[in-house]
Amino acid sequence: MADHFTLMTLHALLLAVFFSFLWKKDAAERRRYLIKVFLILLGGAVALGWLMYPFPRPS
Amino acid sequence: MSSPSVRRTPLPVALLVALAWLFPGLGHALLGRRQRALVFAGVVVVGFAVGLACQGELILPKSGDPLSYFAAVATIGNGILFLLAKLLALGQGIPTATTYEYGNAFLLTAGIMNLLLMLDTYDIAVGKKDW
Repeated sequence: MADHFTLMTLHALLLAVFFSFLWKKDAAERRRYLIKVFLILLGGAVALGWLMYPFPRPS
Repeated sequence: MSSPSVRRTPLPVALLVALAWLFPGLGHALLGRRQRALVFAGVVVVGFAVGLACQGELILPKSGDPLSYFAAVATIGNGILFLLAKLLALGQGIPTATTYEYGNAFLLTAGIMNLLLMLDTYDIAVGKKDW
């Protein structure tokens, strides 16, 4: 449970499922939206992590 | 865009919205949206349970911490899950735990999702949304 990437992936998945069922009516549209939101959340977080990498961390 | 239309609901709209807050997905289930109700209930309950398992905190208003008021709205948005967890003394939060912040994120988003479900229940009940 302490693996941050697993937790982030689960969080992204839950949000993607929730919003696809909240906002999309058609099953195919829902599936596309779910994949899109999931990948944006996951990819965005990883990209943000890389962008923050050069910044100093408190020791 | 279609204008809101009057539709028959099994219960008064205010009661439906209150029940939607009480248990995630219940509002949708009472309006006949069983599949969506199951998915919504699953997502919110799993999110809440993971938040507790990660040592997250059920944040309530703290004096001198204005942001805690916003967090409290999200926390209380969890409905019966919040009440049960409080009753069982869960969700005290362990700030030193590695997953504490993740736990908070899961608990807060579960509550916000449930608040959104209340709004969606209202939209369906008053006919603004027909599915």
